[in-house]
Amino acid sequence: MSGLLARRLVALPFVLLGAALLIFLLPRMAGVDTVRSVLRSRVAEAEPDPEVAARVTAELGLDRSWLEQFLRWLGHALTGDLGISFATRTPIAPQLGAALEVSAVLAAGALLVAGLVGIPLGVWAARRPGGLADRAVTGFSVLGVAVPEFVLAPVLVLLLAIAVPLLPATGWGTPAQAVLPVLTLAAFPTALAAQLTRAETLDALGRPHVAVALAKGIGGAQLIWRHGARLALTGVTALSGMFFAGLLGGAVVVEVAFGIPGLGRLLYDAVVGQDLPMLQSGLLAVVAVAVLAGVAAELLQLALDPVARSEAET
Amino acid sequence: MRRVLVALAVLLLVAAFLPVDALTTNLADRFAGPSLAHPLGTDNLGRDVLARLVAGTRLSVWFTLLAVLICAVVGTLLGLLAGYAGGAVGQLLQRVLDVLVAVPTVIVGLVVAAVREPGPATLLIAVLLTGWTPFARLAYQLTLRERAREYVEGAVALGAGPGRITLVHILPNAVRPLTAHACLRFANVLLSLAGLSFLGLGAQPPTPEWGAMLAEGRQYLFAAPQLVLLPAVAVVGVALLVTVLGRRLEGRWSGR
Repeated sequence: MSGLLARRLVALPFVLLGAALLIFLLPRMAGVDTVRSVLRSRVAEAEPDPEVAARVTAELGLDRSWLEQFLRWLGHALTGDLGISFATRTPIAPQLGAALEVSAVLAAGALLVAGLVGIPLGVWAARRPGGLADRAVTGFSVLGVAVPEFVLAPVLVLLLAIAVPLLPATGWGTPAQAVLPVLTLAAFPTALAAQLTRAETLDALGRPHVAVALAKGIGGAQLIWRHGARLALTGVTALSGMFFAGLLGGAVVVEVAFGIPGLGRLLYDAVVGQDLPMLQSGLLAVVAVAVLAGVAAELLQLALDPVARSEAET
Repeated sequence: MRRVLVALAVLLLVAAFLPVDALTTNLADRFAGPSLAHPLGTDNLGRDVLARLVAGTRLSVWFTLLAVLICAVVGTLLGLLAGYAGGAVGQLLQRVLDVLVAVPTVIVGLVVAAVREPGPATLLIAVLLTGWTPFARLAYQLTLRERAREYVEGAVALGAGPGRITLVHILPNAVRPLTAHACLRFANVLLSLAGLSFLGLGAQPPTPEWGAMLAEGRQYLFAAPQLVLLPAVAVVGVALLVTVLGRRLEGRWSGR
């Protein structure tokens, strides 16, 4: 196995371990006294009793070497024990699971919109470069990249919840409440998908196999979709890292702006509330999701692209 | 058209030095409409909205410029280095970039804010940690491309060393694409910085900053939507302006 997937898989353990170590070291970088934070989260006492502090230190294993602490922490995290939140004083794992579920729905909705709208727009624009459709799509994609989520969210609320009261402005749980957040989050990936699909389709249409198809008398929609767009899709999935970064960063803003209890909101609340165990767990989840998304994108690319597949087999 | 764009960009840079009063509050004059004294009205504390927008260019536009410049210099140097060294060093850079490109600036900002106090320095660190990567990638690719050209072969034949070839021969040929790219990145960094300030991780009240103004105005969305719309227009307008400028430079310099 050569190619992208193999290289990624080789780098993967190092990336994961490095990320986990950075996340583990976060409280130290923040200069947080863990024992004090833990005690303060359990009993509302400003100055802890030194005897109690020493006992908690031993209990948490904070008197051992950092490597030992790291391995213990990692082991706990891998077995699903993420510790207890400073803020809610309840186990983190169920809260994180619920947040992940919410964010997954939000992200899936946005990606669905991006795929169903962005990719056809890109192909449509590529059919006649410089034409009216092309210019409209290019204009839309420039706008979609230049209008950030924190602008789009209040503007959509103003238009569709206040000026024309069609949809609820905040909250989560009903399908109607999901419409505005999904649209807000979808704007960037949709614009990006349209832009990339257009460029990739144009590139694909210039390849020799398309000339052969033309010579064989294949034209119109079949040529564009079977020979152009399919190749373009592989290029788009290859850039999934960009989509992912945009989606996750956007999710924080969207979830805060619309009051949605997802992963982005969880991270934000953890930072604002100085809830470091929660922040660490949220970040671990982000890394895990990023890695899974990366591998899924590679596999999708292998499924779509015969060239990459033959490279991977040799 | 290009002159208009350049003139607007210069105007934006100059605006930061205009002596405007963005902080004086006047509770008797809250949510005022446009008038001669306040051309764009006043906000929830009776402060002049135009003055706040103009003063906001300091943190929004100048700060972005600073961040992009640092990212461009650091990223370009690393890219040139890796491109010239090639082999294992190039591979290592590629792998690092593969990881960093998928890290959203907002998340980095959250983490940095957890470690430090929120504030402009926190913003700068967050943007620098991820912002150099696109420049490094582009500089790396450009170096590989230019290295294969005849003029580099000629310079090697004349006895030029790696440092001289990179700085004197390759870098000048990479400056134009990198400049065009910097314009496109400017919009991205501007939006990241404003987004972090929107989340309350950057500029703290009462400092005028577009993202923070937008966040504050959101509480009055029903009664005074202009408090959200005006900073929104400023952020999107500047992002579009610089993006269009960058695209034109790119098109012009690539000879299309």
